[in-house]
Amino acid sequence: MSASGRVLEELRRHPRPIRLLGASGQLGYGIPTPAFTGGLARQPDLIGCDMGSIDIGPAYLGSGEMATAPAATRRDLRKALLGARQLDIPLVIGSAGSAGAAPHLEATLAILRDIARAEGLTFRMGVLRADISRALLKDALRSGKIVGLDGMPALTEDEVDAASHIVGQMGTQPFRRALAADIDVLVAGRACDTAIFAALPTMLDFPTGLAMHMAKIIECASLCCVPGGRDSILATLDHDGFDLESMAPQRSATPVSVAAHSLYEQADPYTVQEPEGRLDLAAATYRAIDDRRTRVSGARWLPSTDPAIKLEGARSIGERAILLAGAADPRFIAQHRNILPAVADVVRELVCEDTPQDYTLSFRVYGVDGVRMAAPEQEAPPGEVFVLGEVIAPSRERAAEVMRTTKQYLLHHGYAGRLATAGNLAFPFTPPEISTGPAWRFNVFHLLRTADPDALFPLEVETVRG
Amino acid sequence: MQLQQLAQVIRSKNAGPRRLTLDVMFASDGDYRQAAQSPALSPARIAALYRVAPENVAVMPYPLGRAIKITLARPIMSGDPGDRDVYGAQQHTPLLEIEL
Repeated sequence: MSASGRVLEELRRHPRPIRLLGASGQLGYGIPTPAFTGGLARQPDLIGCDMGSIDIGPAYLGSGEMATAPAATRRDLRKALLGARQLDIPLVIGSAGSAGAAPHLEATLAILRDIARAEGLTFRMGVLRADISRALLKDALRSGKIVGLDGMPALTEDEVDAASHIVGQMGTQPFRRALAADIDVLVAGRACDTAIFAALPTMLDFPTGLAMHMAKIIECASLCCVPGGRDSILATLDHDGFDLESMAPQRSATPVSVAAHSLYEQADPYTVQEPEGRLDLAAATYRAIDDRRTRVSGARWLPSTDPAIKLEGARSIGERAILLAGAADPRFIAQHRNILPAVADVVRELVCEDTPQDYTLSFRVYGVDGVRMAAPEQEAPPGEVFVLGEVIAPSRERAAEVMRTTKQYLLHHGYAGRLATAGNLAFPFTPPEISTGPAWRFNVFHLLRTADPDALFPLEVETVRG
Repeated sequence: MQLQQLAQVIRSKNAGPRRLTLDVMFASDGDYRQAAQSPALSPARIAALYRVAPENVAVMPYPLGRAIKITLARPIMSGDPGDRDVYGAQQHTPLLEIEL
């Protein structure tokens, strides 16, 4: 029997609280060994790791690349896999490879198979895919089952075709289906982080509200503690609540720190919307067990009568080239709001002499308003600024042409009152213009209403042989 | 008193790619109550600071976490051309000097 079957049978035969180890909220950025090893010593029933997020921007979903470095990803996967196999407990990985589309999932599976070969491990691996077919999406569009999220414009068939990858964020039910298939390792594409930890306890009839709340907290490892950090965390769930304990002795899960974690990256601290329902935290309570552990109860689960899956997609919008330059001349800094558009006009006249404008050119002026979405209009001028130029154009060559031309004319632009006639810019190195590859944007961020969300996420089971 | 003198945490982050969420957290229930009662943290005042429409701002008190949560619509979606802060982690500074 494989790990999920063994753990399910053991807990059904001898009911007791279930222990879940949140090993990493960002697999691939390092799992601290002492806390992870400490967690294994507590005999958890499952190890879970979240690998992805939409917060990292559209480039990874669009390109199919992972955000984490291959060597670091491999090191973390090896640590988690060896720990789970040593205890013969399920290892559950969600949102594989940062964005959870097919190439991210395949890259994660390839690393796991390679580790298995190197370590001589044989195990059953369940794989849940999250890619949603374009045909299905177009059908759903025509029948009005896709709506934009948070003001996102209506989806069109053209945008469905333009996206390089479109994933659905699966909920807990596909994870339950996978764990019921008697597996040792579960690797899911894009998934709700709660599913990683809530699937197994809800299969054992622990209350869904408590399991979901626990999962929402421990998917970030010890981030809910003071001081917060990425060390492993252990949750012990029974039918009335769950206890939280960081596996790093310097981190404390306190009632306030755990309650405050409900704020993190959530629009509403009392509600967590999931594909299959809604987690209501209005009646949640947080009580100190001692100075390092907190007990949480009270969360309620409200199943949805109208299930919906969150869709994420990203498309290329051209090729990007950038310019890195500094400036310190107070006259240049004082007049930059006029200088930059004037240079853009000069560049357009040159590079569009025999063709229409087919690119966008923009500047961010760090020191002035490069960072803030709403910088005050009247502030004392800085002593230095950093100018980041950006071109997005139909081809790499075109983007480079516009950027190089811009560099030269910004360097030598004559403005009223200029004293420094040899050059307006300080380049930190050459070349200061860099082609950065395709530019991406999220073009799908919608809800797909579907009576059977579980059916969108097929399961494959393979035996990995070491 | 400025908000930064009273709060223990003032932070911003994306809540999905189209919204920004700002958390202001306090060390004591008293500090929390003082801030939560202040009209300086009304949706209209926050909207003016961030130059967004007031209907796109929500202010939610969260006494259990001794915190006030503010959620607003991002003017530019995360990672779109012209975005300045893909993660949204540096948009808290207009809150620092709010006079309570």
